[in-house]
Amino acid sequence: MLTISDLHVEVDGKEVLKGLDLTIPDHEVHALFGPNGSGKSVLISTIMGYPEYKITQGEIIFNGKNINQLSIDERVRQGIGASEQRPPTIKGVKLENLLELLVPGKMKEEAFKVEMVERFNMGKFLDRDINDGFSGGEIKKSELFLMLVTKPKFLILDEPDSGVDPEHLKKIGEMINETLSKNDKVKDYCDPVARNSGLIATHSASILTYVHTDKAHVMLDGRIRCNGNPAVMMEQIRSKGYSYCISCQQQIHKED
Amino acid sequence: MNQLAEKYIKEIDLKIDFSRFGEIEKAENTFESMDKLILEDDEKSSLKAVGVNLFDDSEAGNFLMYGNYVYTSLSRFSGVEIFPLKKALLLYPDIKDKYYFKAIDKEQDEFTKTVFEKEQNGYFIRVKKNVMAKAPLHTALFMHKEMSTMCIHNIVVLEEGAHLHLVTGCTSGCTIKGGLHIAVSEYFIGKGAKLINTMIHNWGTDFIVRPRTAAIVEDNATFVSNYYSVKPPRHIQANPFTHLKGKNASAQYLTVLASFPNTFSDIGGTVLLDGENSGAELVARAVNHGGTVIQTGLLIGAAKGARAHVDCSGLMLSKDGIIEAIPGLKAMHPDARMSHEAAIGRIDMGELNYLQSKGLNEMQAIALIVRGFLDIGIEVEGLEPDLKKTIQQISELSGHGEE
Repeated sequence: MLTISDLHVEVDGKEVLKGLDLTIPDHEVHALFGPNGSGKSVLISTIMGYPEYKITQGEIIFNGKNINQLSIDERVRQGIGASEQRPPTIKGVKLENLLELLVPGKMKEEAFKVEMVERFNMGKFLDRDINDGFSGGEIKKSELFLMLVTKPKFLILDEPDSGVDPEHLKKIGEMINETLSKNDKVKDYCDPVARNSGLIATHSASILTYVHTDKAHVMLDGRIRCNGNPAVMMEQIRSKGYSYCISCQQQIHKED
Repeated sequence: MNQLAEKYIKEIDLKIDFSRFGEIEKAENTFESMDKLILEDDEKSSLKAVGVNLFDDSEAGNFLMYGNYVYTSLSRFSGVEIFPLKKALLLYPDIKDKYYFKAIDKEQDEFTKTVFEKEQNGYFIRVKKNVMAKAPLHTALFMHKEMSTMCIHNIVVLEEGAHLHLVTGCTSGCTIKGGLHIAVSEYFIGKGAKLINTMIHNWGTDFIVRPRTAAIVEDNATFVSNYYSVKPPRHIQANPFTHLKGKNASAQYLTVLASFPNTFSDIGGTVLLDGENSGAELVARAVNHGGTVIQTGLLIGAAKGARAHVDCSGLMLSKDGIIEAIPGLKAMHPDARMSHEAAIGRIDMGELNYLQSKGLNEMQAIALIVRGFLDIGIEVEGLEPDLKKTIQQISELSGHGEE
């Protein structure tokens, strides 16, 4: 589904991704671990095509097509969807106004409105300015709700668990699983073949209690340094911290 | 000197050459009833674009200045009067002593003086004590002749406890390019009364427009002034003045304008907070596709408990435009509490990227951001659906106009 090879990216003339390789096959969801500042958000913004992230080398292949030159919305039309860690507040623009454009006519459908209000408790956000005064958990919920209505084939989540209290984490997990499911039924999430694919960047890994991932990668200083089983890697990171990963890499380099 | 700066200096002190425009016709005390009005289709659409519906019987009443001719309906609510000013002056001689050039100084400038000297016509609207007009009153000032001069004098009186939403569209036929529009408007808002005054402008490219407006607001009364400039003229200069004379009097100015190349819009607002605990809020938004916009707001706190806020913001969508925001505060009483804010900038790239990442194309995303920027809570109740469309077009146009 997504293959990134030898990706070098500059921001304001400074190289931040330094030859990154990553492959996510169809129906697989991967976790991306890494300490703050390791480049996870830069990678996500680059996959999304944000213009300030300049690809100087390498390529991003999505569904067999090089998307390096595509604009943000063209990538979305190809099937990529992202939930941001800290999305901007847009004054005067109501969530409802955005939904009217994303799913034209839907807002007039009673069933859709009921689902939105009752199942996801989104009613109170509709006439509020996008992300304005939302709590950490509300931001994640609103982001995931937008994913749910647009149903991307490939889901990118940037720190979906940061700033979310444990009580809401389960709900966030359910919304992710529902977005990943192919035919809108929650029960399908345990069948990996039925799933859409995705990439979940998380430094605390707490969301992985609720969302199954097939593989994990550790990112350090702009590169993927380590790949493996998500549960094992998560355990290592939780018990020894990212400093262990850094020292491990230093050890590998010494041996080289 | 920078070309833009040179142009700005030339335009800010533009001397109007009256000889370019037709002579001001003598205002006669004649008028026709609205059912005699025959308009061309394009004229009807021009009026619709400024939100005026002259043929709706559910409204409080209608009034049209078509060049120099007056068409008016009778008021449909008891306690609401609409007359051509000329007729009203004959009917009620006391208007002259109580209202005629009483809110505005007739010597204020050459334009006001001209209206006074030429004894011009316009509308006289009065809402009687404690009468609440349930529907808005629609009026239009329509210029249908190329390079003509329209000179107007309007007076609006709300007696104690009265309520009215007055919608006025000022426009020209869509084939008319130029003309001179001068309008003196005086508003008197009695104790506990509330006037919502919505003014919509849509002009040809070579119009010169000089509105001269003043309001006097008594105890516990409210004056809300909504101004939309859908298409600015070549040159407009306006600085409506509101005197909050009474205790707890309040004023709110909400101004939205789109500016285009080769236009100059100096739209201000001055509020004198003279009554105890009076309050004022001035909010101005401009979207610049070129041309010059000056947003001036001056609040003068001259009474105990006066509180006021002015907010001028501009969105630059052009490389060749100028936006100047001048929010001003003058405290003349130790208890006055006043604040201001101003911001000018381009569309925020983070917001644009974000909306695109949700699936909007660039034009849709810009239009949505501009729509949000211009949404300053203008009460749309009572406005025509066509006007709402026109307002929406301002933001949609922005989606096409980003350079």
